Amino acid sequence: MHAVPRPVELRLLLPLAILVPLGFAVTHIAQTGRLEAGPMGVAIGYVGLMLAAHVALRLLGNRGDQLLLPAVAAIGGVGIVMLHRLPQDLLGTDAFGVRLGMATTQLLWFAVGVTAMVVVADRFRDDGPLRHFKYTWALAGTLLLVITFLFGREVNGARLWIFVGPIGFQPGEAIKIVLVIFIAGYLAEKRALLAGASARIGPLRIPPLPYLLPMIAIFVLVMGIVVISRDLGTALLFLGIFLTMLFVATGRRSYVLLGLLLFVAGSFVAYNLFGHVRIRVDNWIDPFVDPSGRGYQTVQALYAFGRGGLFGEGLGQGLPTIGGHLPIPALPTDFIFAAVAEELGLIGAFALLALVMVFVFRGLRTAMLARDDFSAMLAVGLTASLGLQTLIIVAGNVKLVPLTGITFPFVSYGGSSLLACFVVVGLLLAISHRSSVDAQVEGRGP
Amino acid sequence: MIATNIRRLSLYLVLGFASVSGALAWWQVLDAHALATRQDNPQVIAARRSLPRGSIFDAQGRLLASSTVLDGISRRTYADPAFTHLIGYASLRFGATGLERTWDDLLTGRSDPNPLRDLLNDILARQPDPHDLTLTIDRRLEDFAAAQLGHNVGAVVAIDPRTGAILAMVSSPTYDPTGFSGDPATATGPFDAVAGAAGNPFLDRVRQGHYTPGSILKVLTAAGALDAGAITPQTTFPDQPKQEVDGFVVQGFTIREHDLQPVKPALWALSPALQVSSNIFFAHVGLGLGPDRYLDYARRFGFCAPLQIGSDPGALPVDPSYVSGQSDGGCAPFSDNVELASAAFGQARVSVTPLQMALLAATIANDGAVPGPFIVRDLRTHAAAPQGGPTAIVLEIYGGEGARPAISSQAAREVRSAMIDAVQGPIGRLYAGAGAVARFGVSGIETAGKTGTAERGPGLKPHSWFIGFAPAQDGATPSIAIAVIVEGGGTGSGHAAPIGGAVMAEWLKLAAGG
Repeated sequence: MHAVPRPVELRLLLPLAILVPLGFAVTHIAQTGRLEAGPMGVAIGYVGLMLAAHVALRLLGNRGDQLLLPAVAAIGGVGIVMLHRLPQDLLGTDAFGVRLGMATTQLLWFAVGVTAMVVVADRFRDDGPLRHFKYTWALAGTLLLVITFLFGREVNGARLWIFVGPIGFQPGEAIKIVLVIFIAGYLAEKRALLAGASARIGPLRIPPLPYLLPMIAIFVLVMGIVVISRDLGTALLFLGIFLTMLFVATGRRSYVLLGLLLFVAGSFVAYNLFGHVRIRVDNWIDPFVDPSGRGYQTVQALYAFGRGGLFGEGLGQGLPTIGGHLPIPALPTDFIFAAVAEELGLIGAFALLALVMVFVFRGLRTAMLARDDFSAMLAVGLTASLGLQTLIIVAGNVKLVPLTGITFPFVSYGGSSLLACFVVVGLLLAISHRSSVDAQVEGRGP
Repeated sequence: MIATNIRRLSLYLVLGFASVSGALAWWQVLDAHALATRQDNPQVIAARRSLPRGSIFDAQGRLLASSTVLDGISRRTYADPAFTHLIGYASLRFGATGLERTWDDLLTGRSDPNPLRDLLNDILARQPDPHDLTLTIDRRLEDFAAAQLGHNVGAVVAIDPRTGAILAMVSSPTYDPTGFSGDPATATGPFDAVAGAAGNPFLDRVRQGHYTPGSILKVLTAAGALDAGAITPQTTFPDQPKQEVDGFVVQGFTIREHDLQPVKPALWALSPALQVSSNIFFAHVGLGLGPDRYLDYARRFGFCAPLQIGSDPGALPVDPSYVSGQSDGGCAPFSDNVELASAAFGQARVSVTPLQMALLAATIANDGAVPGPFIVRDLRTHAAAPQGGPTAIVLEIYGGEGARPAISSQAAREVRSAMIDAVQGPIGRLYAGAGAVARFGVSGIETAGKTGTAERGPGLKPHSWFIGFAPAQDGATPSIAIAVIVEGGGTGSGHAAPIGGAVMAEWLKLAAGG
C-alpha cells in the first residue's frame, strides 16, 4: 500500500475550495446584506472534507478514477450551498444536546459518507466477499426490508424508516446497493446462458425463464415489499436498475421492452387500485386542476422553474418562502432541483445535470475497463442507480413523469441517501483501482 | 460484448438527460412567460402587493388608473367606471382581469419591452421601473356612450375601421373596482357587493356577451352572397308572409308588425329588402349561397373562432361568435337548410358578441377588409405625477394585427349602398332613421347601418341591436363603425339605433373639434 499521486483529482478539487465558500458568501449577503464568519464554517468544513478524502485516497494508494470524487464534490457543493440558503430550522437534528441546522446536519452526514467512501474504496479492492456471498447479500437485504416493513416508522404515509435511538435511517437506500451486488453476481455467472438461449412466444423473444427465475423471484419479492410500502420512487428506480443491468448483460432490447410493458400494465392496475397512485398520476396530467390543493407542490415547482428563467434569480434571491413558510414543503428533499433551477437558472440546472453526466460516464468507463464481468456489471448497476435516480427525480420535478419521492443524489437533504451514494462512489473507486492496477501489472499503463 | 452494451446504455442515458433538459428548457424559457402571468403564481401576488404599478391614460392623456404605495401595500385607483370592463382590476385579493391582467408584466415592470434591457434586468436581478399605458379611447366618447346606455343593460363598441383602433367600449351595468383593488384586508365587502348586484356587472358584454343578432346578421348574408356572385344588387325573390320549407314555417316579414301600412309586399331587390328587413328575402339569399360557402364567409369575417383585441402578449381575449351550433370551439355544419335559412336572417343557433358585430360593420366600411382591433396605443416610461399626464418618452407603439380581406371592395360598396338605404332610404328611415348622424346635429354626412330585433322566445322582450358606420357617402372614408345592443330593448329602431347614431355623431363632432 504505497501512496500514489492523484494530481488530476487535486487540480479539479481546488476550484471548489473557492466556489463553495463563495456560494455561501453570496447567499448570505443576498439574504442579510452582511457577510458573517459563522456560516462560513460549514463551507470550509465541506471543502476540508473533500480535500481530506483526496489525501486519504492518496495515502491509501488508490489508483481509481480521478474524476469521480471531483464530480461528486461539485454536485454535493451545489447541494450544500442550496441547503444553507434555505431556512435552517426547516429540518435538522437535535444531536449532542445541540440543535443543528439543516446545512450543519447535512455536513455531518457528508463526513460520515466520505469516511464510508474511503473505507469502502480501500476494503473492497478484493471483490471476493461481494461476489461469493451474493445470496447472503440478497437475503440480508430482503430481511432488512421486511424488518422495515414490520417495525419501521411511518413518515409521510410511507413506512421507510428504522430508528435506532435518535438516529433514523432508510434501509431502502442500503437495499438498493445490495440488490445491485446480487444482480451483478447473478448475471455475471449466468451471462453466457442468458445471452445465448431464449424462448419465443410468437414474434416476441422472451428470456429463458428457468435461468432467470431465482433472480426474478428475489427481485419480485423486493419490488412487492417496496410497492406495498408505497415507496413508488424506489420501486421505479429498482425496476430501472434491474432492466438496465439485464440489458447490459444480454444486449437484448426486447427484455427491457418486455419489462417496461409489464411495468405499464402494472401501473395501470395500480392506478385503478390505489388512491395514492391515482392522485399522483392525475396530478401529473394536470396539476392546475387543483393548484392550491393536490397540485400545489407541482404547480409551485413549475412556478419556481419559470421564475428562474435562463439565468436564474441569483443565489439567495429566489422566492422559496411566502409569508414565512415554504411554498414547496418537500423543497430540501424531493424538489431541491427546482430550487437550484430557480436561483441558478436553466444554465445552472444544465450545469448540475452535466456534472451528474460526468459522474455517470466515468462510472460507465470504469465498467468498461473492469477486468471481469462481475466488476463490470457491478459498476454498471451502481452507476445506473445514481444516474437513473437523478433522471427519475428531475423528470418528476419537470412534470415529465409523475412525481415520486426519491432524492437527488448528493444534493437532497438526507443522511441515508447521502451515505448510500458515497458507498456507491467508494465501490466504483475500488473497481476502478483494481482494473488500473491489473493494467499496470500487464504493462499497459493506467 | 459488455462494452458494446455499455456504449449503447450510455446513449440511452444521454437521451434520458436530453429529454429532461428539454422539458426543463420548456418550463424555464419557452413557457416561463405563461407561468409568470398566472394569477395564482406567488410571484405575481408578491410583486403586486408592494410594487408601484404603471398608470393607464386615455388617448388624450387623461388619467384612468393609477397606483400609490401606502403602508407597503400598492393601492389602485380607477377614475372612470365606464372603463372598468376593458381595464379590469388589479386586486391583491381577487387577482387581475382585463388589461390589468394581460399587461401585468409591463405595468409592474417585471418585463421590459426592450429585449436587451429585459435580459440585463434579468442577469443583474434589477427591479425595472413600471410602465404606463395609453389607450386608443377618448374618455369623452367613452363617457358619452356610457351615458347613452344609461341604466339599460347592454353594450356599445365603436371601432375606427381604417386602423382597428377601439374608440369606445362600454358594458352596462358597470362597477367601480377601486374598493377591492387596495388593502386585501378590506377587499371582500366591496367585491361581494358587486358580485351580488343585479345584471351581472362583472360580465364584459362586449367581449363575453353571447347574443342572438337578429336582422343585423343580414349584412353578413348579403356581403357573402354578393362577393360569391350568388346574388347581384338587382336579384329579386318573391316575398311572402311566410313559407314552409321541409315542414318548417319560416316567418316572413309582415308589414303590420311595424305599423307601416303604406308598404306592400313586392318583388324586392337587395336595397328595399334590407330596408324593410325582409326575412324571406335573406333566407333565399342564404340558401342561394349554400351552407359551405356561408360558413366560409362567416369565418372570413372572424366568426367561428376566438378573437382578440390587440396582439400577443397583452391581447384581450374575445369569445367566439357562431352562425351555427358549436363544435370543437368552431362552427358546426348547418344541420339542414331550415337552419341555414333561419341563420341567414340572424336567428336559429346564431350567437354573437357585440365586438364581432362591430367588426362586421367595420369590414363593410373598410372596403371589405376586417381590421385588426387594438386598444393599447403605446407604452411609456412611468410618470411620477400621473395627474399631470403621461411622460413624453414612448417606448413602444402598438397597432392592430393588420386588415384581412374578407370580401371584394366591389361587394363591400354594394352592401354599403344598401346599408345607407337601410338608414336613410324612403322605407328604411322609418325603421333605422334614428341611427343617422344627421339626426344628432351632424349635417352633410351619410350614415350606413342596420337595425336588428333579436327574438328570444315567447314572453321575452327581444334584444335591440344596431350596427352602422359613418361617414358613408360615396368617396368618403368611414371613421367610425359601431355596434349597440340593448338587452330586452325591443325593436332595433326603438333603443339601439338612436344610441348608435348619437355616439357616431358625437365622435364626428369630437374629431372635427380636434
